[in-house]
Amino acid sequence: MMHNMLLETVLVVGLVASAFFAIYLEETVYAVLSLATMLIVLSTFYFSLNAPFAAIFQLAIGTGTVAIFFLAGETLTTKSGTTTSLKKKLLGLVASILLSIPCILGTEQTKTFARSTSFSLSTALWELRAIDAIAQGLVILTIALGIVFLLKEERRRS
Amino acid sequence: MDYIILSVTLLAIGIYGLVTKHDLIKVLISIELITIAASMNFVVFASLMNDSLGQTFMILALSVDSCMTAVALALAVVVYRKLKILDVTELSELKE
Repeated sequence: MMHNMLLETVLVVGLVASAFFAIYLEETVYAVLSLATMLIVLSTFYFSLNAPFAAIFQLAIGTGTVAIFFLAGETLTTKSGTTTSLKKKLLGLVASILLSIPCILGTEQTKTFARSTSFSLSTALWELRAIDAIAQGLVILTIALGIVFLLKEERRRS
Repeated sequence: MDYIILSVTLLAIGIYGLVTKHDLIKVLISIELITIAASMNFVVFASLMNDSLGQTFMILALSVDSCMTAVALALAVVVYRKLKILDVTELSELKE
């Protein structure tokens, strides 16, 4: 019980601190690295909540997202020399720890009137949400084609 | 441990970034944080109710979110190549 509580506290502080630093840091590359840390901690958090499929999906999608952000951060930003000082970093760390205290100490129980259906993930996805999943596949394909056309057209013009 | 407060905290950090930062990539990171805060509720409530439907919704929401990020970054690349601008306030001044 105590072990679980300690793990949850570490995960919550890590999650809030890395999310805060992803916004707070001046250097874009370090901000993206902080976002990557946040996504890894979030995935571990989902594992601890007994949601392994969500955790694995979050990790896989998060890797792609971070790769895109990292490439964009490397190619689009210039090395202007603006860095976050050590004092500001320590201030940010203290602020993020303060922000995570209400999450750790909060004990309000969430009441719900919804009824548990106890479906397995494959049943929920392929029997209840099959049309959504197929339609979403089409949307993703259209978006991928749109991005390719957008970049190709821009390159042709330049 | 209150997961709703955690979700609200992540949402607040995202909104803070959206309001205060002018860099386009930072704005996109803020939007990413906001969507993560929203989709986290699906997993938390699904875990509390011992139900897989919430995980399904989270998977569907996350794939749309990653597509949205890819489109926004592609637009950012195009804008940067054309105008050499990544500041959102400068971009919004261009329409005047």
